[in-house]
Amino acid sequence: MAEILVLDDVFDATVLVGKILTRKGHTVHTFTEEDAALEFVKAHPVDLAILDIKLQKMSGIEVLGLMKQACPTMHAIMLTGYPTVETAREAMQLGADEYCVKPIDKDELEDKVEKVLKGKK
Amino acid sequence: MDNSREYRYLQVFHQVTRMISMVRDSHQVMANIVHSLPELLAIDACTIRLLDQASGAFVLGAAAGLSPEYLARPDVDSRETIATAASGHPVAMRAVADSPHRSFREAALREGIESVLTLPIAFQERVIGIMRLLTRTPREFAEDEILFSVALAEQIGIAISNGRMFRQLEQQVDFLHELQSISQLVNSTLDLDRVLQTIVELLPRSLRAQGCTIRLLTPQSNDLVLAASAGLSPEYLDRGEVVDEKNTIQALRGEAVAIQDVARDDRVQYHEHMEKEGIRSLLAVPIKVMDEVIGIIRVLARERRTFSQTEIDFSLAVAEAGGSAITNARTYRKITLLFNQIEEHERFLANILDCIRPQLLVVDRQGRAVMANRAFLEINGLQESEFLGMEYGRLCQAVEGNPPCPMQQVMTTGRMAISVQQVQAEDGTRWYERTATPMTGESGAIEFVIEIIRDITAQRRLEAEQAERSKLAGVIEMAGAVAHEINSPLFAALGTAQMMEGDLAGSELEEDIRTVVRNLKTISELTAKMTVMTGYSSRDYVGETRIVDL
Repeated sequence: MAEILVLDDVFDATVLVGKILTRKGHTVHTFTEEDAALEFVKAHPVDLAILDIKLQKMSGIEVLGLMKQACPTMHAIMLTGYPTVETAREAMQLGADEYCVKPIDKDELEDKVEKVLKGKK
Repeated sequence: MDNSREYRYLQVFHQVTRMISMVRDSHQVMANIVHSLPELLAIDACTIRLLDQASGAFVLGAAAGLSPEYLARPDVDSRETIATAASGHPVAMRAVADSPHRSFREAALREGIESVLTLPIAFQERVIGIMRLLTRTPREFAEDEILFSVALAEQIGIAISNGRMFRQLEQQVDFLHELQSISQLVNSTLDLDRVLQTIVELLPRSLRAQGCTIRLLTPQSNDLVLAASAGLSPEYLDRGEVVDEKNTIQALRGEAVAIQDVARDDRVQYHEHMEKEGIRSLLAVPIKVMDEVIGIIRVLARERRTFSQTEIDFSLAVAEAGGSAITNARTYRKITLLFNQIEEHERFLANILDCIRPQLLVVDRQGRAVMANRAFLEINGLQESEFLGMEYGRLCQAVEGNPPCPMQQVMTTGRMAISVQQVQAEDGTRWYERTATPMTGESGAIEFVIEIIRDITAQRRLEAEQAERSKLAGVIEMAGAVAHEINSPLFAALGTAQMMEGDLAGSELEEDIRTVVRNLKTISELTAKMTVMTGYSSRDYVGETRIVDL
C-alpha cells in the first residue's frame, strides 16, 4: 500500500479523500496548509500527492514544483474546481500524472489513484 | 589807310560775317574761313587751331593752302609765339627764316612759307584757338591789317563759339531724346537683366563709344559685381577686380570720371588689357538711387576722345534713370520671390491639410465657406468651385436628436466647441465629432472658424465592444469563481454522500441518501456546464483569460 499526501484548502475535501483512500488500504496524510504539507514531504517521502490548485498562500502548481524538488520520485494528481489550460500545462510540465476536475466521482478517484500507483511500479 | 582799302576791309568783313552767320556748325565755319580768307586777304594759306582744354595744345581745326606734311609737323611754332597768341596778342613774323624755332623754320621753308601772322581767336576774353595767315612771298603785316585780322579773328571766335553752343544745344536736345527713349525702355520692363542690357547697349551708341559695363554693389556683401556688358571681349571682362581702381573708387564716391587717355592715366589699373581691347578713353559714372550709389556704369571708347560736360551729364542722367529702373526691377524680383514663396507655402499647407484624414472646414464670420481639405470635399461630394462661399447651414445640417452644429456655439461664446453627431449610413450608424475653434484677428474679434470633423464611428464601436468584453469577462470570472467555490465543497459533499450510500445499503435511509447523491450530481452537472459554457465563450471573446476546453 502507498503513502499518500492530500492537500486542499477545503478541510472536508481532505477528509473525504482521506476516507476513500484509507478504505482502499493506503496511508493518507491530509493537510489544508501548504507549509505544513511541504515540511511533511521533506521529512517523509510519499508515493503520491493529491493537490488542489487553489490554496491559501501558494498555488498547487508551485507546491507541486517544491515537492518534486524534495521528493523527485513522488507521483502527483492535481485536483481543481477551476480548470484552465495554463495550470494544466504547467502541472504536466512539472511532472503531474493526472489533472482532474472537481467534483470527481469516488470511483473515478479510486481508479486514477490505482492507475498512477501502478504506473509507479 | 585809303578809302579803297577801308572799303575792301569792309567788304571782307561783310563777306566773312555773312558766311559765318549762314553756317551753324563750327567745323563748317572754320572750313569756310580758311578757304575764303586767302583770296580775300591776298594771302597763300590759312589755318585755324583750337585749344584742347585737356592737353593745353592747339589742335588743327581747318587748313587751306598747305601740304599734309607741313600740317603734321610736331610743333606749330616757337613756344614764345604760341604763348603770346595764347595770351591774346597777335604775332607777326615777316621772315620765318629768322625764326629761332628750328623744326618750325625748316618745315615752313620746305613749304615755301615766308611770312606768318598768328592771331588769337578769343571769345569773351578767353582764347579758344589761333588763326594763322601765311604767305609764300615776304610780307610786312601793317598795323591796320593786323588790327583788322584781330577783329576778324574775334568774329571767327564768336562764330566758332556760337557753332559750339549750337552744337551743344543740339547735342543736349539729342541727348534729351535719347535719355527719354532709354528711360522709356528701361522703365517698360521689370526684368532686371533686360533693364541692364538696354542701358549697356544704348548708352555707348549715344556717346559714340564702343563698349559699356554695369557693375552693381551686392546688397548683402557690398561686392562690386559685373551685371551687364556690351561691345567687350570675355577676356577683357575677366581681367580681374576693378574695385581698387581709382576711377572706380571715385565713381563709387558719386563722382563722374572722364579719362581721355587711359594708357597714361594712373586712375586705370589694367593698362595692358585696355591696350589689347583697343580702349583709348573711358567715362565712369555712378548709379545713384536716393543719393546712394548702388553701382557704376563705364563707357569705353576705342578712339581717344574727351567727354564733354553735356555727355557726362547725359551719362549721369541715364545712370540715374537706370538706377530707378534697377531698384524697381530688384523690388519686383523680391516681390516675385516672396510671392512665389507664399504660393509655395500655401501649396505646402494645402498638401498638409489634404493629407489629414479628418475633414477640415474653414468658414468666415458670416458663415460662408472659405476653405476645406480634400477629405471634406470628397466625403461631401463637393467641388471646390461650388463649395467656396457656400453657407455653413448647408454644410452642417441640423438633424433631430443631434446637438447643434458647433460653429454657432463658437460665434456665440467665442470659445472652442465640440459636438458629436450621429448619422444613419448604409453600413449602420456613424458618429462624427465636430470641433470648432475660433480664429481671431488683431482686434480680438472672430474672423474665421476652423472646424475639424472626425469620424469616430470605429472608436465608438470599439468602446461598445470593450464594454461588451468587460461584461463578458465579468461573467466568465464569476462563472470560474462559482465553479471553484462550489466544486470543492460539492466534491466533499458528493463523495461523502456516495460513501454513505455504500454504508447505508439495505437500510431505510438508503433511498434518502440516493436522493442526496442524485441531487448533488445534478448540481455538479450544472457547474460542469458552466465551465463548458465559459470555456467555449473564451475562445471568441477573451484573449487573456482562457477556460480549459472540456
